[in-house]
Formats: sequence, structure tokens, C-alpha cells
Amino acid sequence: MLVTWKYRPRGTFLDSLDPRSRWITSFLILFAMVPIWHPYVMVGYFCLSMTQFFLSRLTWQETKRVWFFIIFLIVIVIGLNAIITGRGGPGEIQRLEPHVLWERSFNILGATWTPNITVEKIGFGITQMFRMMGTAVLFFIIPWTIDPSKYGVTFSGMGIPYRFAFSMDLAFRFVPTLARDFATTVDSQRARGYEVERLEGGLITQIRRVAPLIVPVVMNAIVNGEDITNAMDLRCFGQDKRTWIGKLQYRTRDYFWIGIGVAVFLGALYLNWGLNLENFFVPTWFYGLFGVVP
Amino acid sequence: MLDIIKHVHHTPRTLMTAETNALPLSIRDLKFTYRIREQAAIENINLDLHPGELMLVAGASGSGKTTLMRCINGLIPRSYRGKLEGDMRLFGQSLADLTMAELSQQVGTLLQDPERQIVASYVVNEVAFGLENLGLPREEILPRVDEALDYLNIGYLRDRETFSLSGGEKQKVALAGVLAMRPRILILDEPLASLDPASAFEALELFRHLADEGISIMLVEHRVDDVLAIKPDSVFYMENGREMYKGAPDGLMAVADYHRIKLPAEYVLQRARSEAPSVFTPAVGENNGAGPQLLAQFKNVTFRYDKDLPNVLQDVSFDIHTGDIIAILGPNGAGKSTLVKHALGLLKPTSGEVLLQGESTRTKTVAQAAHTVGYVFQNPGQMLFAPTVQEELAFGPKNLRMDAATVTTNVDWAIETVNMEEYRESPPLALSYGQQKRVSIAAILAMRSRLLMMDEPTAGQDYWNYRAFMDSILQMPGFGAVIFITHDVDLALVYANRILLLADGQLAADGPPAKVMADEALLRRCRVLPTSLLHLNLKHLPQTGRLMRAEELAHAIG
Repeated sequence: MLVTWKYRPRGTFLDSLDPRSRWITSFLILFAMVPIWHPYVMVGYFCLSMTQFFLSRLTWQETKRVWFFIIFLIVIVIGLNAIITGRGGPGEIQRLEPHVLWERSFNILGATWTPNITVEKIGFGITQMFRMMGTAVLFFIIPWTIDPSKYGVTFSGMGIPYRFAFSMDLAFRFVPTLARDFATTVDSQRARGYEVERLEGGLITQIRRVAPLIVPVVMNAIVNGEDITNAMDLRCFGQDKRTWIGKLQYRTRDYFWIGIGVAVFLGALYLNWGLNLENFFVPTWFYGLFGVVP
Repeated sequence: MLDIIKHVHHTPRTLMTAETNALPLSIRDLKFTYRIREQAAIENINLDLHPGELMLVAGASGSGKTTLMRCINGLIPRSYRGKLEGDMRLFGQSLADLTMAELSQQVGTLLQDPERQIVASYVVNEVAFGLENLGLPREEILPRVDEALDYLNIGYLRDRETFSLSGGEKQKVALAGVLAMRPRILILDEPLASLDPASAFEALELFRHLADEGISIMLVEHRVDDVLAIKPDSVFYMENGREMYKGAPDGLMAVADYHRIKLPAEYVLQRARSEAPSVFTPAVGENNGAGPQLLAQFKNVTFRYDKDLPNVLQDVSFDIHTGDIIAILGPNGAGKSTLVKHALGLLKPTSGEVLLQGESTRTKTVAQAAHTVGYVFQNPGQMLFAPTVQEELAFGPKNLRMDAATVTTNVDWAIETVNMEEYRESPPLALSYGQQKRVSIAAILAMRSRLLMMDEPTAGQDYWNYRAFMDSILQMPGFGAVIFITHDVDLALVYANRILLLADGQLAADGPPAKVMADEALLRRCRVLPTSLLHLNLKHLPQTGRLMRAEELAHAIG
């Protein structure tokens, strides 16, 4: 059985919006930011996302685990990747003359690898982090702030065929279900003396050592999937037409909210092609932080 | 009569061409062979189901009950492929001519575990699900949803999240979802499996009521004893995929093997008199004449999952000594599983203390506690992972750093105990649910813990199998104490020498079965209902001095 995210109505402005307008505006803002690499614009984008977060009135207590996870992921994966390799953008780093802060050569199997850290890479990494944080904050509040009973009708109301819309509804609820099942499996294996925190041996051994956690969870997910399919078949799912008892209706506030999304999107287009503010650059003051003269 | 039932008497739109006076269901020479198997799962099945008939379909695990139900509700051959032969007619129309949607409107199915049936997030959406799929107008769906909820007296659950419901509530919500579609035939596949005794009885009464109102019902259940209380109109008894008996309930007693299905105690008593007396002597706690030793202590344990949530356990105190065979009984949601998880340290008390052989569980890791406490979880699928049964069983002992020779000895002993020798090299995940359950128990047995705890060890097992392994576990030397959570009153009565009754997170009773079970008012308060075996035992208690199984009682009272 699928469990739902911890949604509860909070009486906020966001709660009162049609979920479709929430999704549409979020995607408009996301798409607006795709072609832009300008660090100041990216900070603005992050602030916009945070404004929505504050409007949701979610508390730190409720969301702290997600924050930790996102920050960890972004810092490690995006941040370090950008700093060490300078990759992740359409070659912006290469266009700038590098100001090297640290450099070292390694000999690996006869080949020389020379990673370095430059002021430009740090600037680019930070910009990337703002982009990813902005995007994550834009979307991770959705499970807490959209009624799970409206997932299906929302997707369907956005023009997605109902079979696919219902699958998305199930997929959304699959995530917390997986977390619950994983916790139960961890407990089951701990009861057999398994110590999650004591993974010994080389990489292959360690991967084999997590099999007791991964295999039951995956197998359960497959069995649950079959159960759900059968339960849906037994109640006539898959006809040509389907009714959703949840009713959605756009109101003035929804048009206002979508209007914000459209404005951001058009604004980004103007920044990009009108003002040519799309490219990445390193502000002069940023060089100063490292005692470097550009 | 409510609308939900009135429509049963109408000719359905999808069956306008069917014969007007035809039976709701008629099956002739039905045979089905699953694609992956050579042997037929069921064959030579013939039965008729009349309007308003409540038919009990009985049989042990593997008798073909579930396959028969799948043939009727259309999952065979649509979801489960294989070779289907014979003729099945719904109101005179061949099932083969009906689409799944047409069939599902007429044949409603309630699965064994409501958790496997519920797909929506909220009760109202769950009950409406089928009607939404039929594309009915919203204005028609909502009244039908309310009607189904009101009919089952669960209107108050309408806006609740489905995953937060208790087992009994989930069962009723799943049934409401089926009834909202106004089926003319109901298939109920072991619907009592996850319910506490009182909820199970309420569910049975409801099924009887539905049949009396005109719905034809096929109730699959191996707890024959319980179902007979609601006077089914007929019985269809299966063994090894074949029909063994068809007819009035009374006739079943003569043909059914009471070792395989649970018959009323009076019948077992009569028939067991002519058999050799059975002797059951548990070996739990044997310590060469030394007195009982203290294994674990619960001291004023209070627990809640979150500071904003209510207490699940409230000031629970009791001791576990060697020799104790404790059954924990109580309604769904009483805190039984939460309680036993404390012994292993999987949960730590919010206040109070749990001591394991004198040491607080707060100071031990779960792995350290696992040396003393073996805990068998309810669902085997959440722990099985190894490529063979043997490797699965060796996992625990290896984690406890036992030497290779001890691991082999323990694994051999555990496999033998649960009677799974022939499956030693089989992948556990490919076994049936009942077999997986036995592997999960063996996996804990192999760790040779002093204190064995089992959460619903008999769930999903048939009567024959669970009795066999309970006998075997309790007769094995080596365990200091055994604790099991169960909804099966007779299991507690037969095997336990001490009963803990839990209600609303508090200990309502703790004592020997003869004392606790004699207080019927207390039992009912804890949603535990006396069974025919209990009544019989209490009647002869002055003579026998203790509670016992019907076969033993037959010889004890002469």
C-alpha cells in the first residue's frame, strides 16, 4: 500500500492556489533560468524560490532532512565537480583567463592529470549551487503543500492523458513508500545482527554487503507494483474515459500566480537576448576575495 | 433497503443479453494450469452460486482456492497467464465474452490483505476509484460513495488518509470501494487474515447481512470454525486443486481432515476420541532443574513515535523469565509490535526502561541485543535477499560472528525445524508466502537466541503448517522463552503458558491462560472473542486444570 507525503493544509496563499497554477509557474521559472549563467541573475532566481518557500510556511523542523540532503548533494556533486573540472556549463569557464589558486600534477598509470582550482571555477561552482538550490527549493516543497488526493486530477488537468496522470500520482506516492519499506528492512536485518554502519572490505565487498537492504526493498517494490495493477484492473481502470471527483478551478489568484511565472519567463528572455546578460562572468570584487587582480 | 443493495436486483446494462433467470455463477469442468507449471492448479471444478447464497470455500494452502477466485474475477487469464479450460458463466453469459471492466462491475473482489487493494490516498477517493474509472458523472459518484460508507457505518472515515487507518478500517474501506460499484457477486479472499477477533466477527456478520440482502458471496477462508458462526448456506471444500466436498456445512465435518482446516472444537473433540492421544510437551526454558531466570524486564515503558503524537505504549511493566511462552493479544493498533520491538532495542522507550539480561537496551546496539533476542518480523518479504535458503539462514549466525561449524549446525537444525529440507538450495524469493514465512522464522532460529519473539507467526499460513512449526519450535530445546503476537485466540490458548492482553497501549492483563481467558468481559473489552475451543476448555477446566488443544481434551475428559 502506498503512503502519502506529510501534507497538511496550512491556510496559506499557496494552499489556496489551484495545483495546476503551482506546477505551471514553477516550470516557467525553471525554464526561464535554463539558458542563463549570469551569477547575479542566478542569485535573484534563488531568492525567488526562497520567497515561495517562505510563503509555504514550512518549518525548519519539517524540512531539515531535505535541506541537509540537498545541500550535501549539491555541495559534493555539483560544487566539487564544477570546482575541480570546471564542467557543467556550456564552456563559460574556458572563455575566461584562469587565475590559478592551486594546482598539482598526478601521475596515473603513465598519464598526467593536473587538476587546479581557479577563481573562475569557484565563482562558477557557487553560481551552479545557487541554480541547483533555487531549482530544488522550487520543487521540493510540492509534496508538503499540494494535497495528495489532487495529484492525478492536476496532471490530467494539465493535458496529460489520464493513465499517465494516474501513474504519476502513484509514482509520487511511491517515494515515501519506498522510504518506509527501506526503514522496515533495515530494522529486519538489524534484528539479524546486521550492522549498517559497519560495512567492511573493498568496494565490491561493500556493494555485496548492502544487498540485504537493497534486494528486499526492490523485490517488495516489484510485488507491490503487481498488487496495485491487479487492484486497479479489478476496479475497471483503463477505460476510454475517466472521471476525477476532485474538482479544480482557476480563480483570479491563479491567473495572478501564473502571470508571475510568465513575467519571469519573459524577463529571462529579455535578459538573455535583449540585454545579453546570459553569460557567466566573475565580478571584480570576487577576485579581490582571493587577493587576485583580474 | 439501501440503494447499494437495491441495484443488485436490477438487470445490469452489460448483461442485457444474458438469460434472465440464469444463475449468478455457474462453473463446469474448470481447469487451469499456470504457464510456468506443468501440473494443473485446479481441475474438474463444478459449482453453481445462487442469488443471495453465501458459499464458504475452504481448503488448506495450495488447495487451489485463490486460483479459483482469480478465474472468477478475471485476473486469470488476464493477469496470470496459463491454460484455462472449461465453462464459466455469469448470469448465463460466458466469462470469456466479457471485458475486464464488464466483469469487474458484476464481480467485486476483496483481497486477503486490504493493504494490497487500496490504491488511493484518501478514503473518499478510494471508494470512488472504480466509479471514476467507469467514467460516471461526479454528481452520481459522490452520493454512491457516501451511500457505501454509510452502509458500512464508516462515514466518519471519509476524509481520512488511507494509510493511517487501522487494519479493520482498511478492510471496511476496501469493501466500501467494492460495494460502491454495486456488484452482484462478491469474492472475499481470506478477508479475516489481518483482523483482530472482534473485527473479524463484525466483518463476518456484515458478509452474512450482504448475502441476506441478495448479493451472492464466495468466502474463501481456512478459519472454518469462525465462518460457521454466521451460518454459510453452502460449503465448497478443496484439496490439491480438486473439489472434495460440496453441499451443506454440516456435511463438511464428516469429510474434512480436522488436522488440515480448523473445524469447530466440538467436532474435533468427537473425532479425536478414536485417535491415539497426542502429547505436546514444550521444551522452552529447560535448564536442568534450575529455577526460572530473569531474561528481560520492561519497567514503566512509555513510548510515542513523535513528540506531537499520542503515546503508543503507556506505563507498561512486566518481566520475562526462562520457561515463559507468552502470547500477546489485543486489537489492531494496541501497540503489540511496538512493545516487542523494544526488547530488541529497535525502539527505545520515551520514558521507562527495558533491561535485557540486566542491561538497559539504551546501552546496547541492536546487533548486540540480537545475541539474546531473535525477532521474526511479520512480513518475510522485507528481509529475504539471499540466493539460497541455506545462505539466507547463515546470514544471522555469521553476523553474530559464530564459527563456520556452528553456523552449519544451526542452519541444518533450523531448516529441519521448519520442515524445509527440500528447499535448501532454492531461492527464498521464489517460494510461496507460507514457505517464505517459514524461512524467515528459520533465519532467526539459526541465531539460537535465548529469547524468541514472533510477530504474527501464523499469518498467511494454513492451519496444518502453523501447528506443525509451532509444535516443532516449542519442543526444541535451547530457547529460554518464546513470545508471539497473534490474533488467533486458539493459538494463544494451545501454546502459551502466559498471556499478555494489550489495549490502547496499556497492559490490561498478564497471567496464565486459564485465568486471563476465563474473564470474558475483559477479553471483549480487548476485542478478543472466545472461540469454541475456549468455551469447551472452560467448561471442563475444573476437571482438566488447564487449557489444551481439542485432541488432548478429548482424552483428558474421557
